[in-house]
Amino acid sequence: MTISQSAAQADRPNGDVIMELDDTSVEFGMSRGRSRVLNGVDFEVSRDEIVGVIGESGSGKSMFASAMLDAVPEPGVTTGDVTYYPEDDDPVSVTDLSKEELRRFRWEEVSMVFQGAMSSFNPVLKIRTHFVETLSAHDYNVERGLERVRELLEDLYLEPERMLESYPHELSGGMKQRVLIALSLVLDPEMLVMDEPTAALDLLMQRSIISLLHDIQDKHDLTIVFITHDLPLVANLADRLAVLYAFEFAEVGPADDILEDPAHPYTRALLNATPNLSAPLEEMRPIEGESPDPVNIPEGCSYHPRCPIADEMCRSHDPDAYDAGADHDVHCHHWEDSIENIDNALASSGSMDRSRRTAADRSADEEPVVSLDDIEVEFGSENDGLLDFGDSEIVTAVDGISLDIYQNDVVVLVGESGCGKTTLGKTAVGLQQPTDGTIEYKGRDIWEGSGNSSTLADKEIRRALQIVHQDPGSSLNSHHRVRTILETPLKRWHSDLDGNDRRERILGMLEYVGISPPEDYIDRYPHQLSGGEKQRVALIRAMLINPDLILADEAVSALDVSLRVSTMDLMIELQDVFNTSYLAISHDLSNARYFAEKTGGRIGVMYLGELVEIGSPEQIIHDPKHPYTQALRWATPELDRDEDIDDNPMRTIDVPDQTNMPSGCRYHTRCPKAREVCRTQKPELIDRSDEDGVQHTACFRALEDHEYWDSEPIAEEPPAAEETGSAD
Amino acid sequence: MKPSEDPSDDATDPRAGASIDEFVPDRPDDATDGAADSATAVRSDGGTVDADSPFETTASVAETRTDRVDRFFEEYIRTPWSILRTDWRALAAFAILGTYILIATVGVYLIEPTESAHGPQLLGVFETWEFPLGTTSSGKDVLALAVHSTPSILVMMASGAVFTVVIGSFFGVVAGYKGGMVDTVLSTITDVFINIPGLPLVIVLAMLLEEWINNPVALGVLLAVAAWAGLARSIRSQVLTIRSESFIEAARAMDLPTRWILLREIIPHLLPYIVVNMMNAARRVIFAAVALYFLGVLPFSDANWGVMLNNAYNAGALYRTSAIHWLLVPMIAITGIAIGLILLAQSLDQVFNPRIRARHQDLGDDDQIEPDSETDTKDMMNV
Repeated sequence: MTISQSAAQADRPNGDVIMELDDTSVEFGMSRGRSRVLNGVDFEVSRDEIVGVIGESGSGKSMFASAMLDAVPEPGVTTGDVTYYPEDDDPVSVTDLSKEELRRFRWEEVSMVFQGAMSSFNPVLKIRTHFVETLSAHDYNVERGLERVRELLEDLYLEPERMLESYPHELSGGMKQRVLIALSLVLDPEMLVMDEPTAALDLLMQRSIISLLHDIQDKHDLTIVFITHDLPLVANLADRLAVLYAFEFAEVGPADDILEDPAHPYTRALLNATPNLSAPLEEMRPIEGESPDPVNIPEGCSYHPRCPIADEMCRSHDPDAYDAGADHDVHCHHWEDSIENIDNALASSGSMDRSRRTAADRSADEEPVVSLDDIEVEFGSENDGLLDFGDSEIVTAVDGISLDIYQNDVVVLVGESGCGKTTLGKTAVGLQQPTDGTIEYKGRDIWEGSGNSSTLADKEIRRALQIVHQDPGSSLNSHHRVRTILETPLKRWHSDLDGNDRRERILGMLEYVGISPPEDYIDRYPHQLSGGEKQRVALIRAMLINPDLILADEAVSALDVSLRVSTMDLMIELQDVFNTSYLAISHDLSNARYFAEKTGGRIGVMYLGELVEIGSPEQIIHDPKHPYTQALRWATPELDRDEDIDDNPMRTIDVPDQTNMPSGCRYHTRCPKAREVCRTQKPELIDRSDEDGVQHTACFRALEDHEYWDSEPIAEEPPAAEETGSAD
Repeated sequence: MKPSEDPSDDATDPRAGASIDEFVPDRPDDATDGAADSATAVRSDGGTVDADSPFETTASVAETRTDRVDRFFEEYIRTPWSILRTDWRALAAFAILGTYILIATVGVYLIEPTESAHGPQLLGVFETWEFPLGTTSSGKDVLALAVHSTPSILVMMASGAVFTVVIGSFFGVVAGYKGGMVDTVLSTITDVFINIPGLPLVIVLAMLLEEWINNPVALGVLLAVAAWAGLARSIRSQVLTIRSESFIEAARAMDLPTRWILLREIIPHLLPYIVVNMMNAARRVIFAAVALYFLGVLPFSDANWGVMLNNAYNAGALYRTSAIHWLLVPMIAITGIAIGLILLAQSLDQVFNPRIRARHQDLGDDDQIEPDSETDTKDMMNV
């Protein structure tokens, strides 16, 4: 079903279409030629539906959103027809609107929620002012508008009065994002375009917002276009899915069809490349190759360079939409073929050895490489009298964690942002001095003899503990070439090598991690590398000095979905070569599961500075004992659409204030199973290991004869406005 | 450094295997040294790739001094030059500043110093070829005065600018990176200098150091004595943001010396800012010097643009058209050098920008890879 109408003034093509794009392109003139960041797209959005638009970074998905509102930034040029069909009025051609009409159209008919909630608010204005400004700019009655605002905020589980009187910095990221959604709905638009609205948020918050969207959509008769790179996130939410690849739609269809029976090879590959909790590891494989450059889109089908079933036809002819079922369009010449053969083709093109390692036996007497004992890290200043007029405000980021990491071990820390997982990781590799407790490297205290200095005194220990950062953009110095970046550790630790030796070694490493031709890459600057390449260079930099433990701080979460699996595979492969241990940090349980299960490691779940559960991935994923782990498990989106997404297992959405920690078990303020005893007593880690794997849980429910079972339940009410999420 | 040895005996060279073994994990089949000959593939460019581990790769050709010199030239001379060559501002700046330097070095020998009653009084511009820029009211040659004051002005300017930038950057970078007690001490010193009123301090110091003041280097430093503090403050705040970047943490994790981190990791990010400030400092030194000569605070010992201005002013050049050239010549000289410095600062900005450097690097082949495809597009799309 391609779109047959072209003129905007024509009758509406179908009673229930709200927005129609016909042969819409967005172009940017660049010194290297014209860059087509949206390439002749035809698309229809139906009234009251939720469309999920999925694409990797640089696939043109943000441009698609901007084109719908004719909001492409200068000097971009939008061509083609974008037509908006109001419910009971004449169709509007969005591209022909005057400035004033566009201004009205943009908030009152179609509104947009952007990715960066942090920067969408003016920090010196109260939240109320943001709402009042929006209302008065559109000549709405402010009083009545604020009534609606209160209602909206309440629907989003926010306290209206407190929110309106707050400044943006007083709200957490999740609250800001919800206020932003309320702000976009304040003029009662017909359609909401959301560009990665949850990308900067935690899994739990993402999931909570997604389930709120469902209610909001029902209540306000909204049409939602949800743009994201994260396929599982929208899998449950969307009625229809559209997959963007290289500035064009690869496949559009009902969500069930796309997920269960994708016809385009790219969709298939994308589904396989997405780490999730249920699929066997063997089925996850990366997509080879990279997305094309907008200046230089391949001839014919844009996916053919990466497609395993591409033939002559694909190289020469750009496929039009093929009808693959009701409402299901696919831009592939071989879509019928693809359903049958693609998995085989993909399987044979996968070159990596995918044998899964078995969990190494950890005998009790084996000496750990790094051993953390009762670590405590505090931030903030104590009021040190004279000349310090501030309040003493101490945040305990890590509170009494003990953890042993063995040789060739993998421990993945999982938790919400602010739970102290990064602080714990940095403490473990000696980049953060603990306030209390000791860290031992092969039996030696790593901070011994360092005094007050911020670096470790023992240089051998310093070498043995390395780090790979989250953001590939800032982990490499943008002013140095790859050669200089990689030469630095060699110069420091292998001073016997001369310039040619270093060059050869770097070339060899680059080739080993699949960056080729290495001679070409060695003289590049970081900005000339893609995200995945940067992350591999950062990984090599840490590996070149052969550390015993590498802290991988969200090492894959900034990468595209199609690159995550391959990067994790590379890390695992390098571990085999080097006998390195990893302490990985992730907010994403599915990545953690892939990494830990493939290496036979452990997953540790952190909550507010404490380790609440640790164990083998099988146990943590399939048999979580701690209610918080269960909540994380719930929050991890699945490709399986049958799951019910509405029952949030937590009593409140927001994390308690860190300067004022809850007493007893810290999770009791959100735990659905909390009882009175949890308020006062703090559970220790309880060993629940059995023949299936190791597991330690800090919850009274793990004990069969505990007074917990006789205690009164705390609350049975549904998720309420945040009683604990005070940010004062 | 080790001398270049016969490249063919690489595999048996003990250096190739043994020294790195301690860092490389033990492999069960440790039959490297002897068998390496057959197992390693020789790369086209002379290196070897061990099939098993790229971590043991060493070059078969030892690095020579020429290689290093060549690399140095490529990095610090050829690439910057190829960037500057295409920029008119750089060429104009080089032309202007080159002229001044020529005047200061060669010009002083070509044009004789002048004295009172050297020629007729207040001769106009281009009236005779003996005094092309005219004469003063005491019959001195204006051109000779202007030319002979150039060397000391240039030296003073350079010493003042270098002093400002070196002290300012040192205080700023160290205070910002080290934090804690070091930061407190250095920042306090900086604040003291910010709060001392600059002009009175210079005047007082000029009185106290009278016998030094005729040395242009000392004078330049004296004039910049209060100028570095502002630079130190702003550099410190920039370092505060840079030091929290991941690559600095990675450098600390690799145990790179603090000196290295400051010089190689942090300073490159600040160089555009530092250079612009250096040029500004140079300009300010000239202006300050001219102003102080004009005010009569500094002794009139030497020929100087500021002294010329003062004399012209006293001779009533503001309202006597016959003396106007006496005022204009030093003014043009000052403006010219200021423009040259500004243009140079603007064009040097490009040399430090890695994106522009990348476009100019000599990759040795014609089909250069597209440099910043994605990022350019992203910048454009405001993503």
